[in-house]
Amino acid sequence: MVGIGFRRDFAGEFLESGKLTPDFIEVAPENWIGIGGYWMKEFRKALEKYPLFTHGLSLSIGSPDELDFGFLGKIKSFLDETGAQIYSEHLSFAKCDNAHLYDLLPIPFTEDAVRHVSQRIKTVQEFLERRLTIEIVSYYTPVAAEMKEIDFVNAILEEADCDLLLDVNNVYVNSFNHHYDARKFISQLPMNRVKYIHMAGHQQVSEDLIIDTHGQPIIDPVYELFEFTMKRLGRDVPVLLERDFNIPELEELQQEINMLREIKTRSLVKEHAYVA
Amino acid sequence: MLLKQDTKTAQSALANYCRTGILNDIPGVEDHRVHHYRRLVFNIIDDSLASAYPLTRNLLSVAEWDELVNEFFSSHPCQSPQVWTMPKEFYEYLIEVNHPLLTKYPFLQELLWMEWLEIEIYMMEDQKVNYQGSDISGIGKLVINPEHRLITLNYPVHLKQASQILPDDRGNYYLIMHREPVSGKVHFTDLSPFFTRMIEHLNSQTYRVDELIEMTARDFGMNVEKMVYENSLRFIENALNSKLILGFTN
Ligand SMILES: [Fe+2]
Repeated sequence: MVGIGFRRDFAGEFLESGKLTPDFIEVAPENWIGIGGYWMKEFRKALEKYPLFTHGLSLSIGSPDELDFGFLGKIKSFLDETGAQIYSEHLSFAKCDNAHLYDLLPIPFTEDAVRHVSQRIKTVQEFLERRLTIEIVSYYTPVAAEMKEIDFVNAILEEADCDLLLDVNNVYVNSFNHHYDARKFISQLPMNRVKYIHMAGHQQVSEDLIIDTHGQPIIDPVYELFEFTMKRLGRDVPVLLERDFNIPELEELQQEINMLREIKTRSLVKEHAYVA
Repeated sequence: MLLKQDTKTAQSALANYCRTGILNDIPGVEDHRVHHYRRLVFNIIDDSLASAYPLTRNLLSVAEWDELVNEFFSSHPCQSPQVWTMPKEFYEYLIEVNHPLLTKYPFLQELLWMEWLEIEIYMMEDQKVNYQGSDISGIGKLVINPEHRLITLNYPVHLKQASQILPDDRGNYYLIMHREPVSGKVHFTDLSPFFTRMIEHLNSQTYRVDELIEMTARDFGMNVEKMVYENSLRFIENALNSKLILGFTN
């Protein structure tokens, strides 16, 4: 399955034209909770046609602040009402000192943060009565790091016993920004926990820095890393094309979806050995 | 709490930098890169507020707007986990601190209120109500569209461009904003005191057309003369067309 982020920017044309043929859609629950009117109608139309995956923004799993159970209650109802197949969130924090920041800030890679975050993931999973699929985020500077990113991520996955959203573009961005080998990083991840994959474009803003904008087409090295990932996985996992800004013609998005399907199919075909 | 104080302090320092632009020493942070976080976070806030309050942004000078957004974001802890409702906190913040801009532009508070209400009405959850499109019995009672807000204003922020509003414009204005059910668009209707009273009656319960006109006229100490009746009928017809009044019930 290859899906697309359902965005208001192209909702109308997407639902009417048939130019885009994803297998599922993804939304951020925060953008659709508590609304009605025109957008609710469009959202319902989309739900009639496509399975829903969700990707939250404000859970702030890495925050020093308390979890917001009022908010989690709304998330739970939303997931139930929409029949969402996956609830994914970011391994980052978006709220601190009782203030929301509406963006994804990097958690310090420390042992105490591993324990803190893992405990919170467990609490969230229990509260929602479903597994959380957590995404490795792109980041532009380490913050008070005492361990390597890969060790931080793996320790949390293990201790929290949650699923992994592998954003291949984020790994690429991080490997570029922080000078490591993306393939080696992916090879060290527990592939059995990967439940969902994200693919996106990004923007290089200086010689040594990429910003994860989701505003450009996917670049070839990220497609190559995706192929590498699919081969390592050796099984079918839902893949999402994320495009949040600079939305092109839908035909262009469809081409990217086609490309992802093609790579996925080709990566999962077992190579035949000829026996003489 | 499993987090150590040092970890919390580092997170807090990064968050605080994003909110204020003031960078205190954060261990391990790359100084030449961290500014992207401030830029990205601040842009989200600035963009959300600019798209929620286009008229206010137009009214204020660039410096006033920038300063205000900065001040709001650095001194107010945003509470909503949903970024689309965050602009409401901006409006509430200005009132709470009795912001000097509210004195400089005496109509600013009402302008912000109207701009926020437009979003609120556009986005609000659907409110179910039963009605029939036409009055087959001839004695049907009018059903008002519950997806509306009726407000009283001291300045004509809905009638005049904000920069053209003068102290002399101060008065009593009545505005009803409602969501048209099919398109979902928000309509603005300037009301006379008479029609405002009519709407207030319909908000309390349903009335037949003749009941409604008579009762409203009585409130104003008027007799239901031909002109009053005809004007009222025309208003009700228009309201039915624009779906401010949805239809009838028995
Ligand atoms: Fe992602």
